[in-house]
Amino acid sequence: MKLAVEVGGLRLKNPLLAASGTFGYGVEYEGLIDLATLGGIVSKGLYLEPRDGAPPPRIVETPSGLLNAIGLQGIGIHAFVADVLPRLRKHDTALVVNVCGDTVEEYAEVARVCDAAPGIAGLEINISCPNVKQGGMAFGGDPRMTHAVVAAVRAVTRLPLIPKLSPNVADIAVFARAAEEAGADALSCINTLLGLAIDVETRRPKLGFGTGGLSGPAIRPVAVRMAWQAARAVRIPVIGIGGIASAQDALEFLIAGCHAVEIGTANFVDPGIYERILGELRAYLERHGNSDIREVVGTLEYPGEPKQCQIGGTS
Amino acid sequence: MPANRTSSLIGREGIGGAYFLLTFRHAETAREARPGQFVMIKAGLSAEPPLRRPFSILEASPERESFTLFVKAIGPGSSALCTLPIGGVAQCLGPLGHAFSALPEGTEALLVGGGYGVAPFSFLGAEIGRSGGRARLFYGGRTAADLPLLARLREQGLDVAPATEDGSVGTSGQVTVPLQAHLDAQARPQRLYACGPEAMMHAVARIAAARGLEAEVSLDPWMGCGMGTCLGCVVRVQGPGDARWKYRCACTEGPVFDAARVVWPGETESRARQAAGART
Repeated sequence: MKLAVEVGGLRLKNPLLAASGTFGYGVEYEGLIDLATLGGIVSKGLYLEPRDGAPPPRIVETPSGLLNAIGLQGIGIHAFVADVLPRLRKHDTALVVNVCGDTVEEYAEVARVCDAAPGIAGLEINISCPNVKQGGMAFGGDPRMTHAVVAAVRAVTRLPLIPKLSPNVADIAVFARAAEEAGADALSCINTLLGLAIDVETRRPKLGFGTGGLSGPAIRPVAVRMAWQAARAVRIPVIGIGGIASAQDALEFLIAGCHAVEIGTANFVDPGIYERILGELRAYLERHGNSDIREVVGTLEYPGEPKQCQIGGTS
Repeated sequence: MPANRTSSLIGREGIGGAYFLLTFRHAETAREARPGQFVMIKAGLSAEPPLRRPFSILEASPERESFTLFVKAIGPGSSALCTLPIGGVAQCLGPLGHAFSALPEGTEALLVGGGYGVAPFSFLGAEIGRSGGRARLFYGGRTAADLPLLARLREQGLDVAPATEDGSVGTSGQVTVPLQAHLDAQARPQRLYACGPEAMMHAVARIAAARGLEAEVSLDPWMGCGMGTCLGCVVRVQGPGDARWKYRCACTEGPVFDAARVVWPGETESRARQAAGART
């Protein structure tokens, strides 16, 4: 049973990655699970310098979901490269850095540091964090800014570039195409949905930052729809993200046209989820007479449309 | 090293109102847990509610490969745990976090527990007793019904001083009333350990600072992962040498912190920093 995929030059032994912000820097789970089980790990978002992040409370549970405003607390790219990367590299899994910036120049500078560091397999460009005042979603909410950030990073690295798109836009296809035109190798779809939870006793937001980003099974149908729209809009492959907690959930994204998926909130619920989903994926392929996970990609039969063949991507 | 796996419920005892004692089989937690550590646990294998919940370990039994939690059924996560049938499974990750530090020899331990925050003090009191130390528990709540562990803790041999705001059992008033009275009457070296509502822990921190005593508090913010990856449970902490406070994960760097290093709500720096500043 073949589970390996290639996504815009990023080679993965299986299509499951840990989503940024839900798996720390990876090393936290050493000893608890075998990190080699994962196709890849996307780091917590990294700026050039360390960040404090948003004031607590930072998380609140909502129906089938998690609303968070962590605010990209992080150790900064230099500490990651010096202290974390040497340890992380010992594990046989693809390491992707989630690149953040307040300015176009900062994104490019973080990417340049990554390009010079051995062991980084790809860069996910965070233009969609809803929980910071500058950067983040500002770049993901204007297609010209999306283009500018991706082009600036493209100019300094040959590493696979994967902009992570925001769902908080009217038409994700516009942003998918802007990123593709600027030189992206793949897309991550989607980041969290902007939300607000209110404590009715105090009449204040439940989160210290105010609004937050919604994740978890609550957003999955929205995520599948947007990943599907993005995959149809571009030739580069798409990594699906949003509420995946089982192989069935992951398969929805693959069938919709994604070549790989990221698991986010479910990491908090069960750090051992990768082994379980991989087992379920193998069982699914066997049951459907497939021998390669790539045979599933883009096989959605959508009403009123001709049956799709495998779409986009390099695999 | 914590272990993540399913854990079956082997004992459930209702102890009045919404309070339960739940015993789960989990060899690693039973064997390795120290007082003040916790587990992240969730009933069943279903997706809802999404997150596991952190609970302090009330007791651990290496012989029976089990541990016991003191749970108040107040929301969907805790209620699901309390209605789990015997033999039912939970997803459990533990033991997690830093334990309370050991009591220096010749020092009396004053444990201050508010409501279900009393949970870690059965374990801590028993351990101090086993090592020949002295421990006294100040156990506070609004009414007698909020102190469901009182008889059990006394049977365990702990010296317990209850306090209720309505006076239905023990001293009338907040738990800091008998604590202050005890501190006024005793001159021997003492160390404070507190777990409960934030305002209570803040009050204990102030009392400790005013009397020059060491105090540890077990903080209880919302936690997502228990492993230091979601960064959802951060608290403001500042050591004497730190120019400013930093966000620290309560799950991996706590939940037990030196009370003098916590920057409490409404404050801008820690007691330890204020004291260091006053000396220079």
